[in-house]
Amino acid sequence: MAFDAIRDGTPSAREAGLGALKRLTAPLIVLLVLGLLLWWLSTLTLDSIEQRTLNWDYIIARTREHLGLTIVASFLVAVLAIPTGILLSRTTSRPIRATVLGIANIGQATPAVGVIILLAIIWRTGYTTALVALVAYSFLPVLRNTMIGLQQVDESVRESAKGMGMTPNQVLLKIELPLAVPVILAGLRTSLVFTVGVATIATFINAGGLGDMIVNGLKLQRYPVLITGAVLVACIALIIDWIAGLAEDKLRPRGT
Amino acid sequence: MSEFDFSGLLTFWARRWDDILNLVLEHVTVVAVSLVIAMVIGVGVGMLVWNRPIPRSVVIASAGVALTIPSLAMLAVLIPPFGLGWTPTVIALVLYSLLPIVRNTVVGLREVPPAIMESAKGMGMSPTTVLFQIQLPMAWPIILTGVRVAAQLTIGIAAIAAYVAGPGLGQFIFQGLSSLGSKNALNYALTGTLGVVILALVIDAVFVSITRSTTSRGLRA
Repeated sequence: MAFDAIRDGTPSAREAGLGALKRLTAPLIVLLVLGLLLWWLSTLTLDSIEQRTLNWDYIIARTREHLGLTIVASFLVAVLAIPTGILLSRTTSRPIRATVLGIANIGQATPAVGVIILLAIIWRTGYTTALVALVAYSFLPVLRNTMIGLQQVDESVRESAKGMGMTPNQVLLKIELPLAVPVILAGLRTSLVFTVGVATIATFINAGGLGDMIVNGLKLQRYPVLITGAVLVACIALIIDWIAGLAEDKLRPRGT
Repeated sequence: MSEFDFSGLLTFWARRWDDILNLVLEHVTVVAVSLVIAMVIGVGVGMLVWNRPIPRSVVIASAGVALTIPSLAMLAVLIPPFGLGWTPTVIALVLYSLLPIVRNTVVGLREVPPAIMESAKGMGMSPTTVLFQIQLPMAWPIILTGVRVAAQLTIGIAAIAAYVAGPGLGQFIFQGLSSLGSKNALNYALTGTLGVVILALVIDAVFVSITRSTTSRGLRA
């Protein structure tokens, strides 16, 4: 613990305590909210329509679909976008890099709901379409962060590594990549949280997930169903963001 | 699988030009209204907490929680108390805008060099005067950058709000989904999506010029 505090650069014990408290806020809020939800649901008498969705089997199945979509999409993005970003940052051609960064910026202005619905119209509805849309949508931000992370490595650090006799590959693996890790991870974290949100929209194209509960609750005017779906999605997003934050702290290179 | 027909798209645009303009106008209005409300709240809160460590981290952490919640979930929980339409949309957009605006306000106010603060104090200014006459103008470009980020965010989220009968171009996107299989499905969804992208790019450009024209003259590069 003492080493952690030094590495994080937190000088006073009070701030370190505040940091630990901050790390616990998200899970505490989630537990509190889930507890309130359970208590509220237990005070209600559910009609037959509500009983059909507000039972553990249904909720666990939807949650599993939701997490599956999120995790598979994020994994695919990580294994596709990070290597592509590394390759692209190796090219010395400025036009290629500028084009990729430009496309990434326009991609960010594109609404996710538009991408997913357009893909459903020109291709088909269902899980695969949602997966493709999620990967396509998160690909650009992660790619962009990988390129920016590698670019922002101090030129003098690169020079010193070269001066120590490292080959370009060694410079990449031992110097540039470790120094780019925080930026790359920040990109992955954003895309993970974002994917949880977009996976909710996947219900519009029949790809399942907890969005089903929100949409059914809205259509059938059953607010308990709607609220349960929404609260669960929000809790998943918060927990995933929290886990990604912990991973970010752990995987950060020591010197920085 | 529907065929892409470019001349069909052009006819579609020509025939529904008034509808499209109307939706664009709604989209801009809902985003602008939300941003103005978020700016009043966000800059105000930022000015209250910028030099108090604990309220500051509490405010920024809660704004961060709001931003993490998926937009469909946020809109959904706002429906039972506020119904459908503009109200839940504006509230959701304001909540999403708060993090970038509050965070940038705090950063901007804190980044004023201590030497300048000292000189202002030495000239006999009270802390409030320093805040309004020195710090706020110097932080303004950074605050506006926060608003610009919030604008990009809310333009996209407003598209989803059409699902809860919110205003704007999202209506065309969902119209495309509900007419899936018909000839115009692609035209609707494509028009809605392209409209949002173009709107986002145009508004971003507008922000660049707003930032230039409202930055205190001495600070302009």
